[in-house]
Amino acid sequence: MSDPAHIVIERVSHEYRPARGRPVLALDNVSLSVQDREFLALLGPSGCGKSTLLYLVGGFLPVEQGRILVDERPIAGPGPDRGIVFQHFALFPWKTVIQNVLYGLEKQDLAREERLRRARQFIELVGLAGFEDSYPSQLSGGMKQRAAIARTLAIDPRVLLMDEPFGALDAQTRSLMQAELLGIWQRSRKTVIFVTHDVHEAVFLAERIAVMSARPGRIKEIVETHFDKDDPDLTRTREFVETVDHVWNLVRAEAIQAQRSGAA
Amino acid sequence: MTNITSGNSTSGASATGFSLTGIATRLPRYTPLFLLAIAWEVTTRGGLVPIAALPALDTVAVAWWDLAVGGDLWRNGVASMTRAASGLGLAVICGSLIGILMAWYKPVRIAANPIVQFFYPMPKSALIPVMVLWLGFGDASKIVLIFVGCLLPITLSAFNGARGTDEVLIWSARSMGASRARVLWEVVLPSALPELMSGIRTALALSFVLLVSSELVVAREGFGYMIGWLGDGGAYDAMFAVVLTVALLGFAADRLYLMLMRRVLAWRE
Amino acid sequence: MALAALARRAGAIGSLVVLVVAWEAAARSGVVTPFLLPPLSVVLARVGEDAMSGELAINLGLTLYRALTGFAIAAVAGVALGILMTRRPLVRWFFDPIVSVGFPMPKIAFLPVFMLWLGLYDFSKISMAVFNAIFPVITATMAAAEGVDRQLVWSARSLGASERQLLREIILPAALPQILTGLQVALPISMIVMIVTEMLMGGQGLGGAMIAASRFADSPGVFAGIIEIALAGLCLVKAMTMLRRKLLRWHQEAQEPTTV
Repeated sequence: MSDPAHIVIERVSHEYRPARGRPVLALDNVSLSVQDREFLALLGPSGCGKSTLLYLVGGFLPVEQGRILVDERPIAGPGPDRGIVFQHFALFPWKTVIQNVLYGLEKQDLAREERLRRARQFIELVGLAGFEDSYPSQLSGGMKQRAAIARTLAIDPRVLLMDEPFGALDAQTRSLMQAELLGIWQRSRKTVIFVTHDVHEAVFLAERIAVMSARPGRIKEIVETHFDKDDPDLTRTREFVETVDHVWNLVRAEAIQAQRSGAA
Repeated sequence: MTNITSGNSTSGASATGFSLTGIATRLPRYTPLFLLAIAWEVTTRGGLVPIAALPALDTVAVAWWDLAVGGDLWRNGVASMTRAASGLGLAVICGSLIGILMAWYKPVRIAANPIVQFFYPMPKSALIPVMVLWLGFGDASKIVLIFVGCLLPITLSAFNGARGTDEVLIWSARSMGASRARVLWEVVLPSALPELMSGIRTALALSFVLLVSSELVVAREGFGYMIGWLGDGGAYDAMFAVVLTVALLGFAADRLYLMLMRRVLAWRE
Repeated sequence: MALAALARRAGAIGSLVVLVVAWEAAARSGVVTPFLLPPLSVVLARVGEDAMSGELAINLGLTLYRALTGFAIAAVAGVALGILMTRRPLVRWFFDPIVSVGFPMPKIAFLPVFMLWLGLYDFSKISMAVFNAIFPVITATMAAAEGVDRQLVWSARSLGASERQLLREIILPAALPQILTGLQVALPISMIVMIVTEMLMGGQGLGGAMIAASRFADSPGVFAGIIEIALAGLCLVKAMTMLRRKLLRWHQEAQEPTTV
């Protein structure tokens, strides 16, 4: 553990300033570090700023207070070292599946054949072989998300940022995709930051869970899990159920509070 | 509530493409138009309306044939269509460029916005006399009028389309290593395309209106000039022939454009 | 704080001010002849003169009266026909091809036919405006009435709404945003058409006054006409926007529709 952490978030605060109305403090003095090849979940009620934190790491929003280091360097804008998967897929609707996957590859210094080979490889990996020439509008939600994941994995980012990637999917597709993501992560061993409000999903996928408080977002507690992810009966083990219970109790108070302040 | 899918048809967005069988299957839809044509023929032949006010349809057809064979229709038509195409083409290029830059760069927006806001609602036909004053009776006055008239609708549609670009798409492209300039070309422009293209459709219709208006008011050639000159001379059958030709050309241009639009935007649902 | 707001206001019309100054400067410097571009001050003085003599009121009043009457008839008839077409298959069968062919046609080409049939007076001018403005209203109304959420209609039905109530209380309000968009297209069309019609038929009205001015090579008169017409157009469009905002207070509109 003498290695410096891969991603370091230090005393970061973030304020939204809407065109009208008062500024909203979305994040309040958040500090967190993520180890290399770690799978970290950011868990919290909606509106707790977990996505904001992810966008800051992605470089989409400017870091105004505090600092965020990736490999000991402060981030300067988005880049292909940090791939992102959004809840609503963000596929280019005017490009086919393979054109979407090729998009990021075209920005890299690769031969044409190599780009095509890699695009096909990742489309196959996510189980979309045969749909290369479909437009996103012709795909189901689950297929769209597979395409978006293939697009991000294809550029081989060291960090995978995932913003409630399975939030728009139905329950069956969601649990299939979770298992697949776990498989992909175990094979590629990327650093993953996974934003979700689903307790079960967070406990199932992550090695560490950062539970966030309702607005303004703070880190309330960090829960470590050490499950054998290859155990097919994992979700029925006593240890797993107890962890879910523990995390749920942490989140529940926050969710209730978030609802109250939302209603007020 | 049974006609939900065919509801688009009046705006011309039927799903079938261009093919002979496609046209054949859609012909029955136009039965009422044929009935109207027959009614026209019957009322004029039967002497229900004076021939001077409404020439019979078959004499109109004969007059059309004479104009076509004599070369008048062709010569004036080419003059008109060249004007419309030049004005509209220039407006498409400039309008798209200005609109997208307005959405992307704040200084451009600040500079252009008040001018667009002020001139957009202006009835553009008011510019006809000034164009004649500045550019005379020929092509230039019509082309510039069409250009000016079509510029703002296209600019505004490009601006609205580009402004509506999903931020998440821009972020995705940036995170895959696209530069800001590349994002403009590769993400903002395609996102703006559906709205931009429907703005251009509006401009296409407007270009016909401005073309015919300006040629009716003052010109030495073109469809509008022909209509005015034939009407003044009392050749009403020939005048009707030209009026119907212009109307059908405007209709055909719109349908062709819709086909193009459907092909370019095939990626949408 | 007040200064900043003032600066923002000034910035909002900054380029218009630049345009105005450039016009005056170009005309005064002698780069262009006063015939091609009379100074703005001269043109404004002319607008003032027209206003004082009462000529502006007559011309503006006539043009607005004709354009707005045509627009109003087109609005009422267009909405009625559009709704009827979605409710009565026979009406739809007859009008659908007429509307789909008529909508994209340059109907202004029929202007000489209208002059031939209806003469040169208000009746033919207003008819021309109706003929041009009605198509976008019909198309928008049909699309709107058909786009009404089925579940909304079903809810109303199950709550016991009659056919008439359904139309008045559910379909019309739900279709209103799109119908208003159609009206916002039709209003400028009726102005454009009215100006051309007046130019061609002559007589009083802003279009007629402009064409008369251009015949007499009275370029301040021509430019004064443009300014008067531009301001009238601006006011009409703004009024329409305000009406929309008032009628659609219940509707969550992120922005005004900007299609022509």
